[in-house]
Amino acid sequence: MAMNNNRLPTVEQREAFFMALYKKAFPNVARYVAQMGGSLEEAQDIFQDTLVIYYEKVASAQTEIIVNEKAYLLGIAKRLWLQHYKASNKNQPLNDFDTEVVPDEQPATGKILHYLETAGKKCMELLKAYYYDCLPVGDVATLFDYSGTHSATVAKYKCLEKVRETVKQNSLNYADFIE
Amino acid sequence: MNNIKAIDDYLLGSMTTGDTLLFEANMLLNKELVNDMEHQQSTYAVIRQYSRQKIKDEIVAVQKILATAPQHQGFIHRIANLFKKD
Repeated sequence: MAMNNNRLPTVEQREAFFMALYKKAFPNVARYVAQMGGSLEEAQDIFQDTLVIYYEKVASAQTEIIVNEKAYLLGIAKRLWLQHYKASNKNQPLNDFDTEVVPDEQPATGKILHYLETAGKKCMELLKAYYYDCLPVGDVATLFDYSGTHSATVAKYKCLEKVRETVKQNSLNYADFIE
Repeated sequence: MNNIKAIDDYLLGSMTTGDTLLFEANMLLNKELVNDMEHQQSTYAVIRQYSRQKIKDEIVAVQKILATAPQHQGFIHRIANLFKKD
């Protein structure tokens, strides 16, 4: 997949990226989940989380080039299915693929929305662009209409301070965000 | 900007070795700095949670397009057939 140096700054670019991955890899994942006795809804849930994990890998600068995207996505989905399977307490263990421990990277939900209201959406979007989408500062400046990289960097630290202050006031611990 | 940048550099590993040593020595003497660092760590966790939810919303939106747009109906049918029990 053409990744333009792993940068997907806009919603439109990410939509095209995810759409292509659905077409390419979802049939295999759905077939696998069906074979394992899962439902279409479960396959969709697993694939959503698979794409979140894959996006994080692709966005982070450390990611090596992934040669076989389709197989790689199926691999993540299988591990997520195994986790899901264990969590839902079904009675038969799965023996036909490796059971290596899934890294602590499954998308978690909840607990955050309350804080966003106080932190402000623009700040959160800016921080997302820096820390999660791992965009270079120049891209962030363009995306958020800053006059240059210096202003964008200053804005980043101001936002970080603002959110940190919210965290501090609410006495939140790192553990509160780990599910 | 008080210690935001220094903690950011420290936690993200972009400090030089010398500055890292100095920063760590500072932490031994300054409880406030340790507190700030812990809160900043929590802040990154907040950002991560927020961002994951946003990306997931975008993925769900793509899935909805696939489920409803006429040009993708063949694809969706083939997927649905995998789950038919006969």
